[in-house]
Amino acid sequence: MKADNIHHPDAARAFLTDRARASWHDQAIWFVRQKRDVQAKQLPEWEELRKLAEQIKAHTLSKLDDYLIQFEENARRNGVTVHFAADAAEHNRIVHQLLAARQVKKLVKSKSMLTEECGLNPYLEERGIEVIDTDLGERIVQLRHEPPSHIVMPAIHLKKEQISELFHEELGTEAGNNDPTYLTHAARANLRQHFLSADAGLTGVNFAIAETGGVVVCTNEGNADLGTALPPLHIASMGIEKIIPKLEHLGVFTRLLARSAIGSPVTTYTSHFHRARPGGEMHIVIVDNGRSDILGNPDFYASLRCIRCGACMNTCPVYRRSSGHSYSYVIPGPIGSTLGPSRDIKKHGSMAFACTTCGSCSNVCPVKINLHEQLILQRKRAFDAGTLKPAKKMGLLAMRFLTQHPALMDAGGKAMRKVVPILPAFVKDGTAWSRPGRDLPEMPEHSFKELYRRRQEDKQ
Amino acid sequence: MSSSRDAILAKIHRNRPGGPALPDIHAVPFITFDDKFAAFAGLIRNLGGEAIWLADGQSVADVVAQRWPKTGRTVDLTTMQHEEVFTPHDWHDVDVAIVPGELAVAENAAVWISHPDNIFRSLYFLTEKLVMVVPKDKLVDTMRDAYGQITLREHGFGAFISGSSRTADIEQSLVMGAHGAMAALVIFC
Ligand code: SF4
Repeated sequence: MKADNIHHPDAARAFLTDRARASWHDQAIWFVRQKRDVQAKQLPEWEELRKLAEQIKAHTLSKLDDYLIQFEENARRNGVTVHFAADAAEHNRIVHQLLAARQVKKLVKSKSMLTEECGLNPYLEERGIEVIDTDLGERIVQLRHEPPSHIVMPAIHLKKEQISELFHEELGTEAGNNDPTYLTHAARANLRQHFLSADAGLTGVNFAIAETGGVVVCTNEGNADLGTALPPLHIASMGIEKIIPKLEHLGVFTRLLARSAIGSPVTTYTSHFHRARPGGEMHIVIVDNGRSDILGNPDFYASLRCIRCGACMNTCPVYRRSSGHSYSYVIPGPIGSTLGPSRDIKKHGSMAFACTTCGSCSNVCPVKINLHEQLILQRKRAFDAGTLKPAKKMGLLAMRFLTQHPALMDAGGKAMRKVVPILPAFVKDGTAWSRPGRDLPEMPEHSFKELYRRRQEDKQ
Repeated sequence: MSSSRDAILAKIHRNRPGGPALPDIHAVPFITFDDKFAAFAGLIRNLGGEAIWLADGQSVADVVAQRWPKTGRTVDLTTMQHEEVFTPHDWHDVDVAIVPGELAVAENAAVWISHPDNIFRSLYFLTEKLVMVVPKDKLVDTMRDAYGQITLREHGFGAFISGSSRTADIEQSLVMGAHGAMAALVIFC
């Protein structure tokens, strides 16, 4: 789980001290964004698809309780037990009771940002249950006792040398062997034993189909499939917003998800679970944990359309250059920067400012969430809630004063154009403008207002 | 437990925003392929798999033997008298699984697997090599077409499987063979 006091600009500054590393991170993630573009361009209907996805999700949210009830009824009819949890604590309690009642000692988990949000792993471990994350990236960060830094690529902040060292200590791989194939297959062999000896499997949910009462889980590794096909108990944890009305709607979402997420036409496995494996049992835990509050907020409810593809973080110039661990909320990047502040503005206020307002996130989002607009609205809330550091607050207040007093603004601009070019270098020392890669812009001779006036005069 | 349920649903009902009607997902034209097999076969090569169009007189067994001359434990669900096991773990040392696929999708090299005669689906994921056998006339263009045709036949389970298990979690290097099958072969017959 994440530390309690992460402040984005400070954490980002720390991340950026290793320039080579930061630049590698930026490029590795930009490469995924480019792969997404290649996939999107191959489909002439791409923009229509995004529109369909947006409409299906918007429609579903407008009748969410009806669809949840329909889902619950159909799941029960299939023989699945459905539980509702108001918050993280209730979710964890339900899961633990299910496990404890069956004397489960080892639980294998596939990727689930929801259980990360709920803090399920430490809760279960304190109660004596061994929890094994089985997605390779999640296993890596679990062994390192750190949170995932990306919702699709949990270990993207790490270099292979670090993973090699970790595996040498934890799995006994050869020291210094950094080959990704060797390391992956070593983890495969190790996790295979865990799959075969687990007493229960827990998965997240990508889509829950109201019409059939089943859930769909998408992975490339096959870990959700092994984790639910072997042990006799399958628990699926999902947020209330994962519902889609009909099976056929997957014909839209499965076309968007992997293309947006990793630039692949589809994930290796798109698995539909409607019942436990023969001889087993299946439970679904539906979690609110603040989502119904967001649903009631006209500025932010669209964030509940999210299908967690991660495309918004891959394209975000701030995320790529600051890494997921710089964000205080469990979900980083643009989507996290609206969900986090929606949940707790005091704690996650700094995330709303981790944004250049370039709008790239909104342009790639497969369900067309107005992410950058939401971040601007969250800034207002952060300001009102008094979460800004004094210097930032003063700057904003000064700017507000200036924009409300045009004569002062003009005079200030004029002074800046004269003074900045002749500033001695030491004045910049210790400010943001002295950091590598940054510099004060060249000052133009005339202000925009002056240029505009002259142009109008020339025209006449 | 049920009190949480009712409180959550009531709150959602109170808070739910307005929204559009459900769109007709069939109103928009989606991509089509002149040669669906070529599209499928081209894609699966990059996804840790291979696709074969069975020639006259050739059998699935021929193709498998050609591809892997030496194999370990083989389970063939396409025949009536296949081996049965008593726990899902019993498939743990399978080398080759030959399974029927109901249809295949040209846009993403996925095959729909949901077999009424199979008891433990663990077979598909424990096997080292997965062979999926699909009728030649069951190739569709997109996932929308696929969802119009599939049925869940296997104890409420069904999966689209596209190529072999893979991961890029270490420095974005693509590695085949994460947890599921290390190799995938799709035979159209
Ligand atoms: S907000 Fe959109 S782009 Fe970002 S993760 Fe969610 S669905 Fe993907």
